[in-house]
Amino acid sequence: MSGPGLKNATIAAGAVMVLSVVALAVDYAVMRGWTPASDAQIAALQEKVQRDAKLAPVLAAEQKRIAEFNRARRARVNWLSLVLVGAAAGFLGGAKRLLAGQARPPVRVPERGPSAVWPRAGRAVAAQAAAAAPEIDLTFVDGLIEKEGRGAEAAIPILQAIQAHYRYLPDEALRRVCHLTEISPAQIAGTSSFYSRFRRSPVGEHIVRVCHGTACHVAGARQITDELRRELAIAEGEDTDPSRTFTVEEVACLGCCSLAPVLMVDEHTAGKLTPATACDALAAVQPGERA
Amino acid sequence: MSRRRAVLALLAVCVLGCLAENAQGQALHYERPVERAPQEKDIGGGYVTPKVQKPLPRRAWLEILDVALLAAAMGVSVWIVVKRRSRRWLVALTVASVGYFGFYREGCVCPIGSIQNVTVALTDPNYHIPMVVTATFFLPLLVAVFYGRAFCGGVCALGSIQELVLLKPVQVPRRLDQALGLLKYVYLAAAIWYAVLPAAQRDFVICRFDPFVSLFRRSGFAHMLALGAGFLVLGMFVGRPYCRYLCPYGGLLSWFSRLAARGVSITPNKELDCGLCAEACPYGAIEEMRAVRRKCLYCARCYAACPREGPLVKAFVPLGEVR
Repeated sequence: MSGPGLKNATIAAGAVMVLSVVALAVDYAVMRGWTPASDAQIAALQEKVQRDAKLAPVLAAEQKRIAEFNRARRARVNWLSLVLVGAAAGFLGGAKRLLAGQARPPVRVPERGPSAVWPRAGRAVAAQAAAAAPEIDLTFVDGLIEKEGRGAEAAIPILQAIQAHYRYLPDEALRRVCHLTEISPAQIAGTSSFYSRFRRSPVGEHIVRVCHGTACHVAGARQITDELRRELAIAEGEDTDPSRTFTVEEVACLGCCSLAPVLMVDEHTAGKLTPATACDALAAVQPGERA
Repeated sequence: MSRRRAVLALLAVCVLGCLAENAQGQALHYERPVERAPQEKDIGGGYVTPKVQKPLPRRAWLEILDVALLAAAMGVSVWIVVKRRSRRWLVALTVASVGYFGFYREGCVCPIGSIQNVTVALTDPNYHIPMVVTATFFLPLLVAVFYGRAFCGGVCALGSIQELVLLKPVQVPRRLDQALGLLKYVYLAAAIWYAVLPAAQRDFVICRFDPFVSLFRRSGFAHMLALGAGFLVLGMFVGRPYCRYLCPYGGLLSWFSRLAARGVSITPNKELDCGLCAEACPYGAIEEMRAVRRKCLYCARCYAACPREGPLVKAFVPLGEVR
């Protein structure tokens, strides 16, 4: 049963419950008024019987009548109370179902695709997918190489400049560097993977640095990171959400242990976080603000 | 660990004391002298006084069955909470307990009232309690030492009926909750005080003011019926008011359950820190995402509310995929 049927049944059970309570209460009130009177009647009769033995059958009949009445009342109360218990069970069962149907929050399913929490970012992903991989403008690389020179010693300054420009090291740009200079692909691969500052995958619009220093670790930085990754639907082994809005990094120390656990979204710092407030901190920078 | 051993030793001593009392009680011959009523010779006419009639005690095997059922129900309660982790099963157990221990056995023998009987038996050499009462009193305490308040959940008839009427729980402010929670220790002290008084002034207050027993029996003093109904109506919105704020046995159990190593646990290793369980707990027994043994009443609502438990898990991404 569900919907209006359940509601009507619940209301009916509630009505039966109230009615039987009222009936029991009325019965009780009437009995309270009645019992002393009958007690007095019996006492009076008993006194008369002591004086006149012929009245004994009257007393016996009266006593029997009262006993019968009490037995009937006991049975009535028993039935009413059983009805009350049944109705109460029905009412509570129905009411619980109705309330549960009302209050049940939608089940939060972490989505694998565009983040449900950042719908704008989700749209951005769709647009990106439609336009395929955007072409990277490599004229910057050409100009850079003219300035830095073509020797192997220029590798690190070139990589730094490329990262500063594109915010990561695009494969096309690195191929261009190999093509135009004496730097070998092996050297580029080695250098770019050795220094953790260099990254080979695109970075999100905003970088979230979650402090994992001692104080933050103790205060639950792991839970903060987990919650962010879950909320942004960042896949295992990656650090950026599918819409490329946020990149979540674990860093050593942000230097404000008194605010632990703490994170930085770009230049905004948020401290004393809990898993529940971690995602609110991301709202400091609107998703897609720079797009 | 040694603390638990000390508590177990204390329990054992009390049980042995009660059993010795019981054995002594069996040896006593009991006969109520009929002196005040008219005697045979005064009545005359060949009148023979009928033999003194005593109500027959409940059959021994039925009493043993009761204790066995109590133990079994607690075992099932622990199994459901620790292994099965299911609210649904626990509700079934709760309904069964209200039916059997409540409406069929009419709320008697219950460990709550037996506090006073045990106290009297341990202090008054002329008072003896049967083995059933001893077992009823000590079994839930023994279980509490290992698994917490398993008795409170789906076994205690008084608790179960309140559990079933809970409709829309409101969270009691923590301070108020703590303050009201002290009442049960006051009640416990008063109950013990009334039990150790000399026989003439002794008063079994716990049973006399048991708010639900007259409901189970569907008869009793009007004020007690009203009190019971009042507790049930209050219990629709405040989770189990009698258990949390008044039940003296609940006070004992919460002491013993501090030693418990197992019980309701919030999904270790796979929790989301979402706090849904704490929100779902009508008894304020989840603090900092962990079930507090001395407050947890074994209702398993936290399991029902948890996205990582039971059937809801199927709606979620498989566990391996979300870190």
